[in-house]
Order: sequence, then C-alpha cells, then structure tokens
Amino acid sequence: MQEVVEKVELAFTVNGEAMSLRVPPGATLLEVLREDLELTGTKYGCGEGECGACSVLLDGRVVNSCLVLAQECDGLEVLTIEGLRSNGQLHPIQKAFVEYGAIQCGFCTPGMIMAAYALLEANPSPSEEEIKRALEGNLCRCTGYRKIVDAVLSLAREGA
Amino acid sequence: MPAIKKYLAPKALEDLIRDASTEGATILAGGTDLLPRWSRGLTPVAEVVIDIKRVAGLNGVSRVNGEICIGACTPVCDIAKDPTIRKEAPVLAEAAGRIACPQIRNRATLGGNLCNASPAADTAIPLILLEAVVDLASATTDGTTVREVPITEFFRGPGATVLAPGEILTRVRFKPPAGGMFAAWDKFGTRPAMEIAVASVGVALKIEAGKASWARIGYGSVAPVPLRGRAAEAELVGKPLTPQTIGKCAAAARDQIEPITDVRASAAYRREIVGVMLRRMLERAGSGRKG
Repeated sequence: MQEVVEKVELAFTVNGEAMSLRVPPGATLLEVLREDLELTGTKYGCGEGECGACSVLLDGRVVNSCLVLAQECDGLEVLTIEGLRSNGQLHPIQKAFVEYGAIQCGFCTPGMIMAAYALLEANPSPSEEEIKRALEGNLCRCTGYRKIVDAVLSLAREGA
Repeated sequence: MPAIKKYLAPKALEDLIRDASTEGATILAGGTDLLPRWSRGLTPVAEVVIDIKRVAGLNGVSRVNGEICIGACTPVCDIAKDPTIRKEAPVLAEAAGRIACPQIRNRATLGGNLCNASPAADTAIPLILLEAVVDLASATTDGTTVREVPITEFFRGPGATVLAPGEILTRVRFKPPAGGMFAAWDKFGTRPAMEIAVASVGVALKIEAGKASWARIGYGSVAPVPLRGRAAEAELVGKPLTPQTIGKCAAAARDQIEPITDVRASAAYRREIVGVMLRRMLERAGSGRKG
C-alpha cells in the first residue's frame, strides 16, 4: 500500500510566468512540468539522463529534467520548449528544424532544440564540431543526426 | 518518482552539518548519479534528502593561502571553464569537461563525482596528480570539526569512502603545480560522449637535466579505487625518459593494476590499454611537449 506523503510548496518561474503549486517531495521537475503544468512538450525518454529528451533550461543551463527534483527548482527559472514560441511564431531554431527536415518521429526534437538553444545563447557562432559536442547528450533514433546538425549550423552567425 | 518524505535545503554550513547527522539522511548534490540509482533500485531512497547546493560557500573556485580551493558543489562544467583551473591545472579542466554531456556537466558536482567513489570517476585521477586533499566536516558537541584527507586515502572501494556517517565533503584543495611541468590525462572509451571510461591514465612529471625528478601517475577504471601508480613512478624517478625506462614503466603499470572484466571491456584489454596509454604519454613527455 502506498503511503500518503504530504505535499510541499514549490514556487518557481516557468517560461517567464511565476508558478506556485504543491508537489510531492520526490517529484521530479519533468513530472511536475508534464503532469501538474501540462507542459507535455518536454518528453520522458529514458528517465536516467542518457537520452536528453527531457532537456530544459534551468537558470539558463540545459539540464535533464528527469534528474532534477522539482524542489531543487524552488526560486529558479525554467524554460521549456513551450517557452520558445513568441507572438504565436515558432522560434528560429524550430523553424530551422522544420526547414531542414531535422525531424522524423519528433520525440527527441524538444530536447534537441533546448540543447541547441543553450548552445546558441552561449555561442552564437558555433562550428560544426561545437554543435556536435553541444548535442552529444541528446539521442535521436530516426534521423542519423546530419539534418539536425545542419539545422543548427544554418543558424550559426557568420564570422565565428 | 522517488518516495522521499522530507526534502531539506539548508543555507548555512552549520545547519547542513546538524541536519546531516540525522539518521537515514541522504546527501543530494547534482543528483545525476543518485537519481538514476534510486530509479534502478541500486540505492534505497532515503526518507530525508538534504540538498547541499544552497549552502553558502560550497560553490566555486577560489585561492586561499596560496592554494586553489574548489567547493564541493561546484558543477563540473564550471571547473572545465574556470580560468584559474584551465591555467594552473589543465588536466583537471580536461577531465571535468569530458564527463558525460552538457546536461550532466551542468548539474554534476566535483564533490559528487568523488563521493560516489566510482573507480571510473573522471576527476579523481587529475586530483591524484595534483596531490589534492579533501576537507571533511562533521558535527561535534559544540560545533563543527574539519579533517583533511589526501585524495589517495579518500577512496576505500567501489562506492566506498572514508566518509563517516554525517560527515560532509566540503571542498577540494591543492597547491598550484610549478610551471614547466608535463601533465596529461586521457580516458579511453568507445564514444566521446556519455562514456564511462574503459580505462583512464594521468601523468604529471618534472623533468630536470633530462631526467624525471618527480612523478605522479594515476589510473581509473582498473582497480577497486582510482589508483596512484606508485610502481610506475618508482621506475621513472631519477631516470631519463628512454624507450627502456618507458617500457619498464608501462610493465610496472600493467602489473600494479587490478582490472576486472565487465560490460565495457575485459580485464586483459584494460591491462593492455593502460600500458599503451602510459607509454604514449611518457613518449610525449620525453619529446619535450608540455602535455
């Protein structure tokens, strides 16, 4: 029989919006995003930090949300794939993924895009090698990565 | 979801030390090893989890009394990028920057990498070369006490350290090595990302008048603990880096290590690759390169 655990207060910012909710002390950030906030763009892949499908930004750093307890995010800022869209428009990284066909089943795509977003924020002019290193924690089982790397490369500013 | 009953996030070291003496409490740093261990059932989920990342003074690189001090909660990505570490201890920056992938490096901490006590811990070998010490803090009847333990004495076996119940690794310290030293570290695996090393080797050398006057050697993933290569060091010190010396060093390395066969490689392969990696590093040192 499952023992009832008292929920605890969690206050953090998700995609620019202040949130306050009560969560079980053991809930992961991924579970809270998907189950409580219904932000299902962030995917549950392996659940142990191998695949990157659950990648989000936590205070500006890309992390696996399956390996972060929601409580660890108290007072911090989370950015998910849903937060990239602005004024009803896809983010340029999302547009590039569409344009380059860097998607097949789409399951890894939110994580790939969040990892690419973190890279381009830190380094607007990455080389192909730097892109591959930045995406090394994200697995794709369909595309073979070429189109994904090309999509990100298309956004790298000239004059690196 | 781990069945945690209570989550604590103390902000002061005194509070952490007090909380840590609670029976059955588990310390959470980056969580990149602990959470998968919980979900695979390899480590029982603790009822009380103490997140130490908000404790003041445990995050960052500083210089204190001529030493480089790294707080236990410093994420390994910050160590890889830190200008002081890159300049004074590039082998540590290299190892920290090759752990897993960006998502993991952004969370995983130096203290966590050491306290997990994996024989494959990437940061342990550079810290052996740097003759680092760790500070272990614990509660006393009237406050906090800190003991200093050399990194070579910290590990006791796979997943085991000298940490007593309630004791917390607060920081890692070392003296910046003298300039002009050769230092190298490398790990071998089948892919660059997310790889737990099949084997890793590190070498630090002072060469004076054509001879090795001081040496530190270390091996990962080839013994129950990250291992200092005393046998190979003994073959090296006082001798010129000739092919004969290097051959004896590599043989001493192969003899000293105690590798096992597992999913990543056989014991025989590990024995071979350690000798090859050490030989190549010593050949580079002998050719006058810095690392």
